[in-house]
Amino acid sequence: MKTAVYFCNCGTNISEKINPEKVEDAVKKSNGGIIFKSCGFLCSEEGKEFLRKDIMDNGIEAVVIPACSPRDHEKTFINVLSAAGVNPYMMQMINIREQVAWVTEDKEKAAEKAVHYINAAISRVNLQEPLEKKEIDVSPDAIVVGAGPAGLKAALSLAEAGRKVTVVEKSPTIGGLPVRYEEIFPNMECGPCMLEPIMGDALHGNASGNIEFLTLSEIEDVVGSYGNFTVKIKRSPRYVDAEKCIGCAECIAPCPASFKNPFNCDMNERKAIDFSFAGALPNVPYVNAGVCLRFNDNDGADGGSCRLCIDACPVGEEVFKFDEKEEIIERNAGSIILATGSALYDCGKISSLGYGKIPAVYNSIEFERILASNGPTEGKIKTPDGKEPQSFAIVHCVGSLDKNHKDYCSGICCEYAFKFNHIIRNKIPSAKIYHLYKEIVIPGKESGSLYRHAAEDKNTVFIRVSDINGMTVAEESGKKVFSISGACGSGGGAGGGEIEKRGGEVSEKISVDAVILCPAVVPGGDMDGLAGILEVVRDKNGFFEELHGRTDVGKSTIKGVYLAGSCHSPMDIKEAMSEGMAAAGYVLSGLVAGKKLSIDPISAVVNQERCSGCKVCIGVCPYKAISFDEKEEASLVNELLCQGCGTCAAACPSSAIKANGFTNEEIFAEIGIMLA
Amino acid sequence: MTGKPKISMYWAASCGGCEIALVNINEKIIDVDANFDFMFCPCLLDTKKQEIKELPDESIFITFFNGGIRTEENEEMAHLLRKKSKVLIAFGSCAYEGCIPALANLSSRDELFKTVYLDNPSIDNPLGVLPVPESEVPEGMLEIPRFYDTLRTLSQVVDVDYFIPGCPPEPKQIWNVIELVISGAPLPPRKSVIGAGTSSVCEECDRKKSEKKVEKFYRNYEIIPEKEKCLLEQGLICMGIATRDGCGALCPQVNMPCTGCYGPPEGVLDQGAKMVSAIGSIMDIDGIKGLSDEKIIEKINSTIESIPDPAGLFYKYSLADSMLKRRIKP
Repeated sequence: MKTAVYFCNCGTNISEKINPEKVEDAVKKSNGGIIFKSCGFLCSEEGKEFLRKDIMDNGIEAVVIPACSPRDHEKTFINVLSAAGVNPYMMQMINIREQVAWVTEDKEKAAEKAVHYINAAISRVNLQEPLEKKEIDVSPDAIVVGAGPAGLKAALSLAEAGRKVTVVEKSPTIGGLPVRYEEIFPNMECGPCMLEPIMGDALHGNASGNIEFLTLSEIEDVVGSYGNFTVKIKRSPRYVDAEKCIGCAECIAPCPASFKNPFNCDMNERKAIDFSFAGALPNVPYVNAGVCLRFNDNDGADGGSCRLCIDACPVGEEVFKFDEKEEIIERNAGSIILATGSALYDCGKISSLGYGKIPAVYNSIEFERILASNGPTEGKIKTPDGKEPQSFAIVHCVGSLDKNHKDYCSGICCEYAFKFNHIIRNKIPSAKIYHLYKEIVIPGKESGSLYRHAAEDKNTVFIRVSDINGMTVAEESGKKVFSISGACGSGGGAGGGEIEKRGGEVSEKISVDAVILCPAVVPGGDMDGLAGILEVVRDKNGFFEELHGRTDVGKSTIKGVYLAGSCHSPMDIKEAMSEGMAAAGYVLSGLVAGKKLSIDPISAVVNQERCSGCKVCIGVCPYKAISFDEKEEASLVNELLCQGCGTCAAACPSSAIKANGFTNEEIFAEIGIMLA
Repeated sequence: MTGKPKISMYWAASCGGCEIALVNINEKIIDVDANFDFMFCPCLLDTKKQEIKELPDESIFITFFNGGIRTEENEEMAHLLRKKSKVLIAFGSCAYEGCIPALANLSSRDELFKTVYLDNPSIDNPLGVLPVPESEVPEGMLEIPRFYDTLRTLSQVVDVDYFIPGCPPEPKQIWNVIELVISGAPLPPRKSVIGAGTSSVCEECDRKKSEKKVEKFYRNYEIIPEKEKCLLEQGLICMGIATRDGCGALCPQVNMPCTGCYGPPEGVLDQGAKMVSAIGSIMDIDGIKGLSDEKIIEKINSTIESIPDPAGLFYKYSLADSMLKRRIKP
């Protein structure tokens, strides 16, 4: 193999400490007069041209470049090698700038070190093999799981860019959590109204032809990998034809069966055929087969004979599809966006707070529904006994910042807690409101206003409590009585009254009519099932884990599976929308219609002859790139998914896995010379 | 002496099991005799060293050399048999990679002598006499071969043509090698491991393997393993994954984890390191997410502590030929 060393002086960055002539002599001596050339700035246009020409003129087959960090210029020189007609993987860069010149005072020692590095690189590059990139056809389409703010934004953005998108939504409606909120922070907009333009565009806009909404649907199975996923979707029957139904709601009133409406947190009832709420999209009711008499009475030939809804329908019988069955729908896509959203921590896990046991102790979503005009109380604040409460305790940090529950701050609770304060104050001007909190967290340029309203309100009291989850709530003659130990006299509202003035820690009791618990935000829905199917890694709190917590929050650890919204971290609507857009960006930049996907050859390869099928490697792959080939009884690396990390090559106890570009032979040759 | 090609077998630092394994080819030994002049084997025959010295160089066709090089005599015989043999085969784990005697490479000669001749509860040695190369007795000077400070494999002392692994090699595989030679077929490339496969014991093991996650390791006496399931997955440290195949997976078939006697699979430099690396890869660490650093270390340590004598376990056969080789430089 004809190998050459191109030494970059990096101006004087390298040559000031490491004398190129001295290094040249030593390297030539130990490598039999190898070609050795130095250059002022190898990365300059002039330097690159010199490199290209010299490689071509001398018929060089392998190149060692002592220069800066490969992070700086490996790509630069790879391109030069390609331009010179040499396989770009026949190069070894050595970082003698950061790792030698900049950190070694003594010039002699610096030169000696550089010589060691260069000799080691020569021994390695001589063993390197030319590697070729492969290209595969891909699908530019995407599957979006979840039709909340993040999923909708992603789907709409992709559709507007001409991509086909299938949105898989578990519930019968789209819009996610915000459609349950009558007013949202920080500007008290109406949640469903704010989402309407996006939902409207997605359903009826110019790009809506590119979006397919599958409601009442869940991911059943996923096979394939980035660029070519095949997704099986299980769709439960709605029993109402979404195309034919005009959404007039005439069928609802006559329906004789009803059940507790989960959309209103079971606080009121809905009919067996009904909308989740007034204004739900798609504008089609759905039938709860568990309650509908047609499925539960046996007075007719095919089950029940009730046809009150059918008779009320102005369109006709064809709207109803009571024989509809669960179906499996298959879609192909190159990318999958997970936007499955979040839920609230179960307040029942902190039993001392009385949730689920004492009436009028609500979690925040229940209270949102009470505030909503399409909710169980039509927007009137009423406790279950029908009375209007005159005093409230809004408890922040429930289950948060607590190692026994969730050790993080969800970052949205304080904001909606002050929103509650604002709404209560408008609806019940004389109400006394206590905020019990561990920490107040209200980041963002728009969040100050709601906080200030609460802080300046003379009937609002702030009590800082060191252990929120250690408080106990008891019911005493209709009042909810908080026993608080470890209350810190806090700078509360202007009219904070008695508590504001106290200093130090005290024990205190307060009595209120209603309690609103603001619990930690936790992953929503069936994360277990989905994570299992997609093999997406989850973090210690059960959220989908990001590829990198700062630089790649939109990517999961599985290539081609992106994350958007609160399925990977608690966040507000604004962030979720941005993340939906970001996920769309990943899809758009990653897979372009008509363009093939190129696969980096720095990947692991299984020698199936030598593999004994012990399956040690399968579990260690962080990218789920290894599967078991039952036919060959050997492991198989999907080179598309493989990131070349080498973990499997190290784990393989019979050396049946080769890490391209980092073979044992190459590494041992390098170490051998370094230690010689 | 006959005109048949000469074949010899020598033992150095070994137990004699290799000779038994050779005899265990049973009636095929008659075929050996029909095709070869089996002329030197201190365990079985009375040929003297002097007679070997007097042979012309390379006049022995094949020498099966078992045992590691522990003493001056072992080394002398290794050189002599190298010179007199056309094909020198490191026969069995001791000659190939050191085997059990090489575990002594974790100690120095002085430490070994102290353990064996002074501290050993079954030794009565009030004068503290230790072996020395030369001792004066009334009849004159007595000489015994020098005991080296380390044990070397055969190939660390002389040029070796082939390696037959196993402690001891399986008779079936010994016969395969002899049969190949008798057939006159071309011999495999020099320096290769013969009489064995190139993959690992799992290749020959019928137990069902799945993705491995082991939370706790057990010693053999602690559990009765399930019949069908991979032993390693049941927490028994079965070295099969990091051991060359060829034995027929005899041990795992009878519920005993492989101890690694066939040495590293093709292409593996260090059997013990590979095993440790694999064990690290399958230790079930799912439960550590979210634990504090101290708790994680505690959890990992408790798993590791369930593995007594890691050196003796992972390097039972391969220490002298591993990357570690020995504590004391030869």
